[in-house]
Amino acid sequence: MKILVELTVNGEEGQFEVEPQTTLLELLRDHLHLTGTKEGCGLGDCGTCIVLLEGKPVNSCLVLAVDANRREVTTIEGLEENGEIHPLQQSFLEKGAVQCGFCTPAMILSAKSLLDQYPGANEQQIKEALSGVLCRCGSYPKIIEAVQAAGGSKKKGLGNEK
Amino acid sequence: MKRLKPFAYFEPQTLLEAARLLVEQRGGAYLLAGGTDLLVRMKRGEIRPSALVNLKSLQGLDGIKPGMETGLSIGALTSISALEQSSLIQRNYPVLSQAAGLLGSPSIRNLATLGGNIGRASPASDMAPSLMVLTARVSVEGPGGKRDLPLEAIFAEPGKTTLEPGEVMTSFLVPQVDPHSGAAYLKLGRREGMDCALVGAAVFLRFSGARGEAKEARIALASAAPIPLRARKAEEELLSGPLTEERIQQAGRAAVSDSLPISDMRASVSYRKEMIRVLTCRAIEQARQLAMGGIVH
Amino acid sequence: MKSEYVGKRVPRVEGVEKVTGRAVYSVDVDLPGMLYGAVLRSPWPHARIVEIDLAEVRKARGVKAVVAGKDFPFNFGGMIRDQPFLAIDRVRHVGEPVVAVAAATEAEAQEALGEIKVQYQELPAVFDPREALAKNAPLLHERLGEYVHTGPYQSVPGTNLCTVRTYSRGDIGAGFAEADELFEDEFYIHAVAHTPMETHAAVAQYIPAEKNYLIWSSTDGPFRRAKELADALRVTINQVRFISTYSGGGFGGKGAMVAEAIAVALANFCKGRPVKVVYTREEELTASQTRHAAYLKLKTGVRKDGSFTARQAEIIWDNGAYASKGPDVAQRGGLTIFGPYRIPNLELLSRLVYTNKEPAGAYRGFGTTQATWACEVQMDMIAARLKMDPLEIRLKNGYQEGDAYINEQVMHAVGLRETLLRASREIGWPPSKPKPLGTRFRGKGLAATIKGTATPTESSCFIKVNPDGTLTLLSSSVEIGAGQKTVLAQIAAETIGVPLASISIPNPDTSITPFDAGVTSSRTTYHMGNAVHGAGLEVRRKILEVAGEVLKTEPGRLSLSQGRIFEEGAGERLTLKELLAKKFGGRGGGLLAEGRFSPAGSPLLAAAKGREGMSSIFWMFATHAAEVEVDTETGVVKVLKIAAAHDVGTAINPLGCEQQIEGAAIMGISNTLFEELKMEKGRILNDTLADYKVATIKDLPEIVPIIVETQHPEGPFGAKGIGEPAAACTAPAIANAIFDAVGIWIKDLPITPEKVLAALNQKKNEGGA
Repeated sequence: MKILVELTVNGEEGQFEVEPQTTLLELLRDHLHLTGTKEGCGLGDCGTCIVLLEGKPVNSCLVLAVDANRREVTTIEGLEENGEIHPLQQSFLEKGAVQCGFCTPAMILSAKSLLDQYPGANEQQIKEALSGVLCRCGSYPKIIEAVQAAGGSKKKGLGNEK
Repeated sequence: MKRLKPFAYFEPQTLLEAARLLVEQRGGAYLLAGGTDLLVRMKRGEIRPSALVNLKSLQGLDGIKPGMETGLSIGALTSISALEQSSLIQRNYPVLSQAAGLLGSPSIRNLATLGGNIGRASPASDMAPSLMVLTARVSVEGPGGKRDLPLEAIFAEPGKTTLEPGEVMTSFLVPQVDPHSGAAYLKLGRREGMDCALVGAAVFLRFSGARGEAKEARIALASAAPIPLRARKAEEELLSGPLTEERIQQAGRAAVSDSLPISDMRASVSYRKEMIRVLTCRAIEQARQLAMGGIVH
Repeated sequence: MKSEYVGKRVPRVEGVEKVTGRAVYSVDVDLPGMLYGAVLRSPWPHARIVEIDLAEVRKARGVKAVVAGKDFPFNFGGMIRDQPFLAIDRVRHVGEPVVAVAAATEAEAQEALGEIKVQYQELPAVFDPREALAKNAPLLHERLGEYVHTGPYQSVPGTNLCTVRTYSRGDIGAGFAEADELFEDEFYIHAVAHTPMETHAAVAQYIPAEKNYLIWSSTDGPFRRAKELADALRVTINQVRFISTYSGGGFGGKGAMVAEAIAVALANFCKGRPVKVVYTREEELTASQTRHAAYLKLKTGVRKDGSFTARQAEIIWDNGAYASKGPDVAQRGGLTIFGPYRIPNLELLSRLVYTNKEPAGAYRGFGTTQATWACEVQMDMIAARLKMDPLEIRLKNGYQEGDAYINEQVMHAVGLRETLLRASREIGWPPSKPKPLGTRFRGKGLAATIKGTATPTESSCFIKVNPDGTLTLLSSSVEIGAGQKTVLAQIAAETIGVPLASISIPNPDTSITPFDAGVTSSRTTYHMGNAVHGAGLEVRRKILEVAGEVLKTEPGRLSLSQGRIFEEGAGERLTLKELLAKKFGGRGGGLLAEGRFSPAGSPLLAAAKGREGMSSIFWMFATHAAEVEVDTETGVVKVLKIAAAHDVGTAINPLGCEQQIEGAAIMGISNTLFEELKMEKGRILNDTLADYKVATIKDLPEIVPIIVETQHPEGPFGAKGIGEPAAACTAPAIANAIFDAVGIWIKDLPITPEKVLAALNQKKNEGGA
């Protein structure tokens, strides 16, 4: 039973016929061939599948494509503009926040969402915002530096801010 | 990774339609809210729904607004992140925001709903204890009409609610809280981020004008029993006299005797019992400080 | 001379691909006509396969190929060839592949598995390697004596002893007799899962007419895998082509055939269509590879003044069901049990034992995490009893420049002392006794480690100069995520005298890039770096020769810098691009140089006769100093700070060194405090990342990476290696800090709150303060 889904991905509108059991992640990777979004576990435990839904990070492996109908999705591929990379992508590069790179798209998108909502976010807020993306290479220290360099602040922050 | 197996899919426009679908599918249909629990269980092969009924197509099931008379009404499809970030909740019911902020991760919180979390009926639910100590009620609608019940009455056994076939939770009602009260939720896990409660303790305390003696005390525990649990003996202990250090310790020990924790791959029964005692004492102390209007350390 | 690139914090040359999501990993490979594989796995830890009924699955929707062990009855194994591609008549661990299916979609392949019927006959199983050594233990490999052994591994057929290695030096009895104090302790270290964010994945294609295999994979040693596959299938290496993708993390776990084996088996039956096998996270955790768990017994003789007289070590390595890289782990890793310390009399019994569990294999450190755990905790136990400062006892016994290793190899570039001093200084030493905050106590601890590199090994490369003066480095060093490409680009650019941005480094392809022994053993900077350096010098020489010819002058008067050619006394003459245009004209042309490196024959390897095999061309040293806070009510240990000092020889890329030091320290914290594979009758219960917990960003303590440079005499620009040592020191540093904080010893990993509470209670009951 195929269902017609309309969604805007990185500013481009598209129509897709999907089975109900197709996840948003599968639609992005298999139908649109946007493989920058990864699948590390399929169960929402690792965060590598994070995309932005109207600017808010979600685990796309747990979103049905039909639930993304008429919504706006941003993937890592959507951050460049006219061949220029986003300041966050630039700072991740410069600060050494990228090792194997598998978690990088999810980290960057999560950071983008944070800084769009809280410019000047402190270290505590940065950690909280990125707490759902696992990095086995252990790039956490430099990821925090990269986010701070791209618009976060070097303030530590208390425990209870949101 | 594991792929979802096919299912029939419905987007009901009314609650009546949703109820009808649930009844028709005779237990094979599951309600889809945030999907963060449901899709995981499906991928793991724990359940194989014949149909998913998407509640998000219904209007008016999300949102936080003042209650009918007083207090707060939280739509069942309100996301956990909306709960966490709501200034209304942060101001007036901060323990709910505290608990919401401890659930999963930010991206999971953007998807997960309060109704989904409660409906999962997990003893480890982060939201249940704080709602229980605030004496929240659940509004339910089904083929038999509307009703509301205390939150704790929703839980039957691990993974099962007391809802009748076709019934859907529509909102959660949280009564107004007294300004001389404080509530806290503490969660113990293995790591700082993205963790399931090994043990969780929520405490609500209200003091009258004369400080030192609690007039109302409620304690609810996560992962301490098959369902989220009110620790009644511990509550009685807290109300039995001035809130001294000794009384708090007694209450902690009483909470252990109220509980029925298990050993599982996350922790042993003896460790859980000890942590129930420790966390209860710490949550009592935090709630007390909040009630006194102080800053929690 | 000022350096252009060496020593500079150069961002990753593949960084733009990664931050834009364009980098292709094995899981991203998508080819026309590609099929998808799924695997039916054994539910039993040990069983005979009685019957497999494939009648229904062949008819399942979308299914194109079905393979069981007897359809493809080959064994593989880089060291001992004991592992079937698919179980043939027997399963030896829960999760062992039994039947593989290829279908048009992944969902169909997974669905089809439900149509397969397998009848098993359960056999007695053994899970504890000590029990597996017992006389009547269930036997896993009756044919142990018949398997091909590709190295000098001593197996004991008729037992579960996969390999045994002994070593001795001096007179152990006399050594103990000489000691004032004897320390006998037993330690345990648990298995951990590598947990790369990209699970094991591979695409394989078999062209029947040519009998050629084409495999896309992020394995860390494409040439080694090509050889393993060629040996297993009795084909030539020319018939097995590995194309490397970027790797989403390996940490050693991608150092053996895992997904590749399934993909290759299936490819044989897919009539020329490529087939992709992606391990689910559950399969990654339960059916790929783990670190070896180990039981370690140490008996150490110490004089009153803190110097060592003797050490006797007995290590039992829990290998799981198949050898994988275990034989070398037990051999080389075992030897690091003596630590970076001068001990005259030594004895080692290192036994690698089969058990009915997920196979263990190479894991960051290759046995040193296990050995360092035992060595460094006992070190502090010794210091405590002798009332010596833990730093002092390590400084006293620690290796220094010119000291002899246990095989009499003279060691150069020995930065141990500096790592000890700087790490301890950074954490604040000696530890003061801060007042507890309520029930929370703080403490500090140290641990040091030594690690060598597999010696000798080969690396070779080509550097070609394109007609426009850009360059391409052809090397089989896989970018496993640790910065291999960037370091090699820096070395090339520095050596040749061209802009870094003008060098491209495509991913390895064994039909194009020449032989390399693999990205393992922290060897790439040194070995491939030296090969690149050699090729670079040759390219530079050739360029200047051509320049001399074109400019009609002596090449000796010319130099090359940033792609510009300068003449003595005349300044800049022309660019490399202009030079090649002049030389080759419109039809174009290029230059090519080869670099080949092996340390074999180096005088640095000289050692006691017959023991040269134990020499390492370089030794890496590291010290971690940890500060922890122990909550004595909950048993929770929080790491506040790690000062991690590493002797890297020369930091070709300090940014890259920091990345590796920080990363490995976090992995160490995670292994020590959060990770545990919970097993029940050979089955892993926590098969998701919700319950197999790795460190999140919120678990990050303050980490101060400290780079120590000792300038290795034969390393490229003096460099040695960095990738592995940091993984070894963190666990014992934390354990030693816990002792400093609350006076309890934890001798078996992981360190859990329950163990801490139990130890605190025991101490209280024994009347300790």
